[in-house]
Amino acid sequence: MRLAKKDTVKALERRGIDAKTAETLCNAGFTMGKLKKASIEDVMKAGISKTSAGKVMEKLSKIDTKVTKTTKKVKKEERGAVTPLLIDSKLKGLPLPLSIIDELRTYLNKVKPTEAQLERILQMSVDAYERARIEPCEAVGIVAAQSIGEPGTQMTMRTFHYAGVAEINVTLGLPRLIEIADARKVPSTPIMRIKLEPEYARDREKARALGWKIEETNIIDVGSIAVDMAKMQVVIELNEKILSRRNITAEEIAKKVGAETNLDVQLEGLKLTVNPGRHSYRGLLQLVEDVKGITLKGVKGIHRIIIRKENGEYVLYTEGSALKRVLQFEGVNASRTKTNNINEIAEVLGIEAARNAIISEAMDTLREQGLEVDIRHIMLVADMVTAEGEVKQIGRHGVAGEKASVLSRAAFEVTVNHLLDAGVKGHVDELAGVTENVIVGQPIQLGTGDVELMYKAKE
Amino acid sequence: MDKFDKKYTRFEKARIIGARGLQIAMGAPVLISTKSYDPIDIAMLEFEKGVIPITVKRMSK
Repeated sequence: MRLAKKDTVKALERRGIDAKTAETLCNAGFTMGKLKKASIEDVMKAGISKTSAGKVMEKLSKIDTKVTKTTKKVKKEERGAVTPLLIDSKLKGLPLPLSIIDELRTYLNKVKPTEAQLERILQMSVDAYERARIEPCEAVGIVAAQSIGEPGTQMTMRTFHYAGVAEINVTLGLPRLIEIADARKVPSTPIMRIKLEPEYARDREKARALGWKIEETNIIDVGSIAVDMAKMQVVIELNEKILSRRNITAEEIAKKVGAETNLDVQLEGLKLTVNPGRHSYRGLLQLVEDVKGITLKGVKGIHRIIIRKENGEYVLYTEGSALKRVLQFEGVNASRTKTNNINEIAEVLGIEAARNAIISEAMDTLREQGLEVDIRHIMLVADMVTAEGEVKQIGRHGVAGEKASVLSRAAFEVTVNHLLDAGVKGHVDELAGVTENVIVGQPIQLGTGDVELMYKAKE
Repeated sequence: MDKFDKKYTRFEKARIIGARGLQIAMGAPVLISTKSYDPIDIAMLEFEKGVIPITVKRMSK
C-alpha cells in the first residue's frame, strides 16, 4: 500500500506538481487513475486550496493532450505502411510455430505497420515466445500435475452442482474432471451440441423438424402399452397429437412393430394389438418389454432434444450422444457439432480430434468453476493420454500401468503383482526414468541431473 | 533454430559452475584475476567471462 502511494507521489511530481500537494492528494486516497477522472471540487475536498487544485487539474490534463498528440503522429506514420509481401518474407524465417506466424500475419495485415514498427513487433513476438518456452530438463510433468491438482482441491469443496443448458443436467466439476482423466467409455451425462446449416439455423420450424427426426422415438413416447390378460395380447393405444407432432403414422408404427417382433400386428384406428401366438404368461410380459424397446424413429441413444437460440441461430442440445449418426443428417453442420463423449470423438473423427476434445473439455470444466489453469498443462496431459493412438486412462489401466519400467509400475499400484510378474518373466529394468532412479538412489534425469559435462578445448 | 542451442539452460549453467567451483575448491588454477576467495563466486565470474573449459554434451540432434 505504502509503495503504491510513493509511486503515485513520484508520478505526480514528474508531472510538475509540488511534493506537498502530491502527498496530501495521495493521503486522501487518490491514485493517478482517480485523479484523471476527478473534478476540481473532488480535489479541493482533499484539503487543497482552489488555486493549487486548478493547477493540478491543468497539469494532469496537459499530459493528456500530449498523449493524444503522439497518437496522432503514429497515425501519420502509418501511411508509409509495408506491403503484405514484405510482411510475408519477414515472417518466413522466424523461429516461431506456424499457428503464431499465421496469427501474426492476419494481425499485421490489419494494422499495417511501418517497417520500423514491423521489425519491433516481430522482435517482441520472438522475445515473448522465447520467454514462454520451457527449458530442456524442466520437470514439466510434475508442474502440470501440481497446476491441475491444486485447483482440483478447491473444486471438491463446491462440486456436484448442476449448470449448463436449460433443462439438461450436465456433470461438472471434479466428477467430470475425473471422468476425463479416467477415459470412461461413456460419460455419465452424454451431451451433444448440434449446430445447423444456415437455412435450418435461422428457421425455427425447420430446426424443430430436424430435432424430431433425430430424437429417438419409442412406442412409449407415442402411446400407452397395456396387457390384455383375457385375450393374451399386448394392446398399444396411440396418441394422435403426438403422432402428428413427431410426423409418424400409425401404419408406419404397425409395420415397424411387426417387423421387429416377427408377429401378427392388427391396427384398428389408433389401437394396435400384437398377438404373440404362444400362450405363456412370461412370454407375454417379455413381449411388452421387447415392444417398449423398439426404436420407431430417430437415432438410438438420443433421448431428448432441446432447441435453444444462441447468437441468432437455433442450436439443438441433446441428452445422449451418437455423433456418427447425427453427423449424417442433412442440415447438421458437421464441423461445428460436438459431443462431450471423448471416446466417440476418437472413433469418429480420430485421435487428434480426441486430443483437442480432452483439452477443451478439461479447460471448460475448470473455467466453469472459476479456475484458470494454463492450457499447456492440460495439453501435456492430453498428449500423454492420446500419444499412442487411442485414448488411454491415466491410472493403472492406462498411462501409469503401461510404463516400460518394472520399478516405476511397482511404485504406483499393485506393487507385489508387478514385482512377482517381472521376477517370473525375468524382466530387466534399464533405470531410464525418474521413479526407478529415485528408488535405487541415483541422480535422476531431470534438471542438473540430465546435463552431461564435456571438456572444451581453448579456441 | 541454432539461436537457442548456443544458450545454456539454467540447469546447464548451474552444473558447469558447480563442476568448476569444485575444481577451484580443490586447488585448480584460477583463470581470471579476482580478489574473491569463494570458489563458487570465482566459478561464476569465470563463467560470465566464458573462460571455463567445460561445455555440455547434448544427446539428441
